Amino acid sequence: MRAGFAVADMIATAVAAQGISKSYGGNQVLSGVDLDLPEGTITAVLGPSGCGKTTLLRILAGFEDPDAGTVRIAGETVAGEAATVPVHRRRVGLMPQEGALFPHLSVGENVAFGVKRSTRGEAQAQVAHWLAVVGLDGLADARPHEISGGQQQRVALARALAAQPRVLLLDEPFAALDASLRVRVREDIAVILRDAGTTALLVTHDQSEALSLPDSVALMIDGTIAQHGPPADVYARPTSLANARFIGATVELAGIASSGIVHTALGALRARLPVADGAAVVVLRPEQLRLGAGPSTTPARVTGCRFYGADTVIHVELSDGGRVQLRSPGEISLAQGSIVDIEVIGSIETGVLAYPSPTGRQRVALGESGG
Amino acid sequence: MSILKPRLAGAFAAVAAMLALTACGADSQTADPDKIVLYSGRSEELVGPLVKQFTADTGIEVETRYASSGEMAAQLITEGDKSPADVFLSQDAGALGAVSKAGMLAPIDAATLQAVPGQFSAADGTWVGVSGRARVVVYNPTLAPDPPDTIDGLLAPEWKGQIGFAPSNASWQSFVTGLRVVRGEDAAAQWLRAFKAQDPQAFENNVAVRDAVDSGQVALNLVNHYYLYELIHAKGADAVTAQNMFMAPGDPGGLINVAGVGVLRSAPNPEGAQAFAGYLVGESAQQYFAGETSEYPLVTGVASSAEMPPLSDLQPPAVDLSQLDDIEATQELLVETGLLTN
Amino acid sequence: MTTYRRRPPALLLVPAAAVAGCTLIPLVYLAGRALDRGWAFVIEELIQPRTAALVGRSLLLVVVVTAACVVLGVGLAVLVSRTDVKARRGLGVALTLPLAMPSYLLAYLWVSVYPSIAGFWGACLVLTLVSYPLVLLTTIAALARVDPAQEEVARSLGLGGIAVLFRVTLRQARAAIAAGALLVALYVLSDFGAVAAMRFEAFTWVIYGAYRSGFNPARAAVLSLVLMAFAVALVIAESRARGLAVSSRVGGGSPRPAPLNRLGAWSWPALLVPAAVLIAAVVVPGVTLADWLLTAGPRWDFAEWFGALRSTAWLSAAAALAATLAALPLGVLAARYRDRATRMMESASYVAHGLPAIVIAISMVSVGVLLLRPIYQREPLLILAYTVLFVPLAIGSVRAAVEAAPIRLEEVARSLGHPPLRAFGTVTARVALPGIAAGAALVLLTCMKELPVTLLLHPNGTDTLATRLWSYSSVSDYAAAAPYALALLVFAAVPTAVLGMWSTRAGRVRGG
Repeated sequence: MRAGFAVADMIATAVAAQGISKSYGGNQVLSGVDLDLPEGTITAVLGPSGCGKTTLLRILAGFEDPDAGTVRIAGETVAGEAATVPVHRRRVGLMPQEGALFPHLSVGENVAFGVKRSTRGEAQAQVAHWLAVVGLDGLADARPHEISGGQQQRVALARALAAQPRVLLLDEPFAALDASLRVRVREDIAVILRDAGTTALLVTHDQSEALSLPDSVALMIDGTIAQHGPPADVYARPTSLANARFIGATVELAGIASSGIVHTALGALRARLPVADGAAVVVLRPEQLRLGAGPSTTPARVTGCRFYGADTVIHVELSDGGRVQLRSPGEISLAQGSIVDIEVIGSIETGVLAYPSPTGRQRVALGESGG
Repeated sequence: MSILKPRLAGAFAAVAAMLALTACGADSQTADPDKIVLYSGRSEELVGPLVKQFTADTGIEVETRYASSGEMAAQLITEGDKSPADVFLSQDAGALGAVSKAGMLAPIDAATLQAVPGQFSAADGTWVGVSGRARVVVYNPTLAPDPPDTIDGLLAPEWKGQIGFAPSNASWQSFVTGLRVVRGEDAAAQWLRAFKAQDPQAFENNVAVRDAVDSGQVALNLVNHYYLYELIHAKGADAVTAQNMFMAPGDPGGLINVAGVGVLRSAPNPEGAQAFAGYLVGESAQQYFAGETSEYPLVTGVASSAEMPPLSDLQPPAVDLSQLDDIEATQELLVETGLLTN
Repeated sequence: MTTYRRRPPALLLVPAAAVAGCTLIPLVYLAGRALDRGWAFVIEELIQPRTAALVGRSLLLVVVVTAACVVLGVGLAVLVSRTDVKARRGLGVALTLPLAMPSYLLAYLWVSVYPSIAGFWGACLVLTLVSYPLVLLTTIAALARVDPAQEEVARSLGLGGIAVLFRVTLRQARAAIAAGALLVALYVLSDFGAVAAMRFEAFTWVIYGAYRSGFNPARAAVLSLVLMAFAVALVIAESRARGLAVSSRVGGGSPRPAPLNRLGAWSWPALLVPAAVLIAAVVVPGVTLADWLLTAGPRWDFAEWFGALRSTAWLSAAAALAATLAALPLGVLAARYRDRATRMMESASYVAHGLPAIVIAISMVSVGVLLLRPIYQREPLLILAYTVLFVPLAIGSVRAAVEAAPIRLEEVARSLGHPPLRAFGTVTARVALPGIAAGAALVLLTCMKELPVTLLLHPNGTDTLATRLWSYSSVSDYAAAAPYALALLVFAAVPTAVLGMWSTRAGRVRGG
């Protein structure tokens, strides 16, 4: 897989993990994980709980040693191949889920913790600079328990950045914040990271975070990287049914595939990616279904309507008994049992996702999927 | 550098330095002719002034350790020939006997031994008696207007549950040993069983027993004679209810036990130790015992305190005091008859 | 994650093993002494029916007192931390004070006031009064760490106050309660002063008897080994009760104080129990002591008194420092590297705590003359003996304090460029420091009261408040004894009050 890369590309890779495997007491947590973090980018690792993403992060940081594989940071081998650089010499920044500010130090002292002490004045200047960057000027003398959760996260970021790390590892840092705060804080932090040009790895189980923030997202399922690419790519072209389910909400239909066309209860749909002939599952995104008036619509019977403010979700039953949901903007109220026409957007131009039907043995990923 | 590391290192250094300094100060077993180490099983209040007097008279410094005789004997035996002690002053003959049996005592100077009647010292001359105490029955006149003066009298039904004693006390165990010697093992066991049937109340030490009689908790008990006088001196005669009953002539209950002193074989300063032993049988020390503690001086020519019958009036049972060190067999017997443990 | 998964570093293992080894010195001595007379003797002593009867009496005492201490300690801890009783903080501090009272003194004072209390129940009363603070302190600390969200959820599910207490709150504090109960049980097993004054023929009395009047170290050694077997059993039981799981909450955001139960009509009646406890443990003895002073008129040799006070202060302080330092490696290992080997080392150091002090004393005499002659009957050996005796008190505190310091903080410090040892020192040690200091305070006050070891090992001419108290009271010179008793109580009360204040303060502020 590495064969085609140019030397220039390799130097621009801030962190390269190759063939990382790790098991705990008979439990294989990571198997042969390869991950490159290009310089100056934000990469997200998205996966359900228990998939090993936190373990990967701890291995990159140096808190755990991999059973097999190597980790290189800025070209220097820090793990594997008999040479292990300890945590305190790797210059990796850590932003944990709960902030983990030192309770016995003030905010300013927290931020100054990793700053190489040249002179006291210089350290103070650094502290002031980074606090300003994260938007917390003037809080240097406050104590951690006196500031809010969102502010604590910013201080944690300032602390990590002040130490000039080669890569910043964020371990689900926004999970502890409440919803409205979460979006705002993560947006701000993404801007700060981009401005600072810091390479960052974000580990998360939140789909919206993994799609909106990073430059690329790696899907980790059951200890391996299932797919790695820009968010739009991974969203629009997931390479497997499990990936499709994990990266976003799905509406699934059973169908028969034949030469790239899948015949379903909603009509004949063109597959976006190559799919083998035979029983297939079509994966539609909720935004692909709408109440239609065009030529290729299919009748369906309404079984329910749910109002969500900005849009309404309509539950319908198809001719073959399959049930799907679609969203329609605004408030639509339809009587139960009424017949509506629904169409699949872009079924000809861009195609739909289709995969061979899972056999009984195939494991389905846990975690968020569907609407 | 780390904040903790230097502090930790500093703490260790301080402790190590302290150990080194104090250890350097120790001069192990080098003999100092002007100093002796005294292990005293008798209290500081009693022995302290005597020791000061000794130092004033002879110029020999005395370093004293105080603990109970039994523990002291155990400590001496554990220490063995590496003990720093020169002299062992014991409350009773049993402890001395045990230390002597362990082969740790050197013979006392002949002059010292001769000052005291032979019955009050060890037969092999390894320790000498210094002051005597008679076993008595201390009674509460209100509860016991007519107390017995023989140990068999204690077995009367009216005293059931009314007798106190200190089972772990050395003097009590010496009495039982004497009983065994005088009456033989079987008769002694018989008496003990009968005594046990009297449901005697056990106390931690003689002081507690005496106080219990004075407060009326029990009517009678078996202790040494001077405990009563000690209480009288402390509280005043008017505040004390209890009284002494000295035993009938020849009765095993009237055993006279002695406090004594022995010189350690491994003493760093043997001359000083012998001097101390000699001092204790000298007139001033003997008068001190008579006056201070109301004990019986053993040296002829020194009179005992007026508040008690003179030694010559008492007729203790004929017991070789050195046989009182067979405490272990006594303990077996006491355990067997249920008086020592439960 | 609260423990490291790696092997513990040699820097910790070696000192920890050394300390655990030192605490087993008495065991080695006992085994040697017991076998002096051969195996036949040992077996003969062990199968005596009186041995079984003695064991039964002591075990009964241990069980009753431990149960009483758990009920009292936990109940009072709940009263102070989870209700709105008046003057919570002051009450919490006051209820810690009985810890400053030596058991022999309390027993003695009670017996002189109520002679009929002597016996089993008297011993139970006295031992409960002086030991319940051990459970009180650990429970208050644990209640402070319980997540109030759980209690709130439980209430919303319809559980009343009492049910929440038993099914949610106390279950989380279970490990801490077990740790406190272990200290109580081991103490009762080893105590001599109280049972002697109360004339309850417990096992320790017999062991003392074997030393004092029988000069029979072999018999005493065999009996001590029996006692030790029970100490081992107790330690194992506590270890099981504590379990492998360590509950440690990482606080994020501002701390939420635990919900307080309203006492309402029970406000004043609720004060009855603490009042009764304090009267029994502090007022009655205090009044009796004052009575002694007044009856015979105080005789107070100031120079002698001050000398004893000074010796007590510096010896106890040195012992506290030494025991705490010795406990550090073991405590950190127990908190961060919980594998079988470290648990065994920790348990081993607790076992000596269950032995009567006379046994420790005699074994240290033996070791002193044989191996450490230059420091025999000098301060260093005495301090070493104190360390052997008291290190379990410190280990528990160190362990609890380090457990409460989240490991994540240390990891962050390492990621910021601090090497592991420095990260521990600047972060974990700092956060754990108050807890460790509390352990030192506990050793300090326990050492001030200590008697048997001091009596056998003190340097000639050096006396402590406890030895002076003993020497005067053994000749019934109460007037002279009273100033020492008073000094002991007052000065031991200082570290006790500090301990109490720290516990209740920590109980109110949770997280960072």
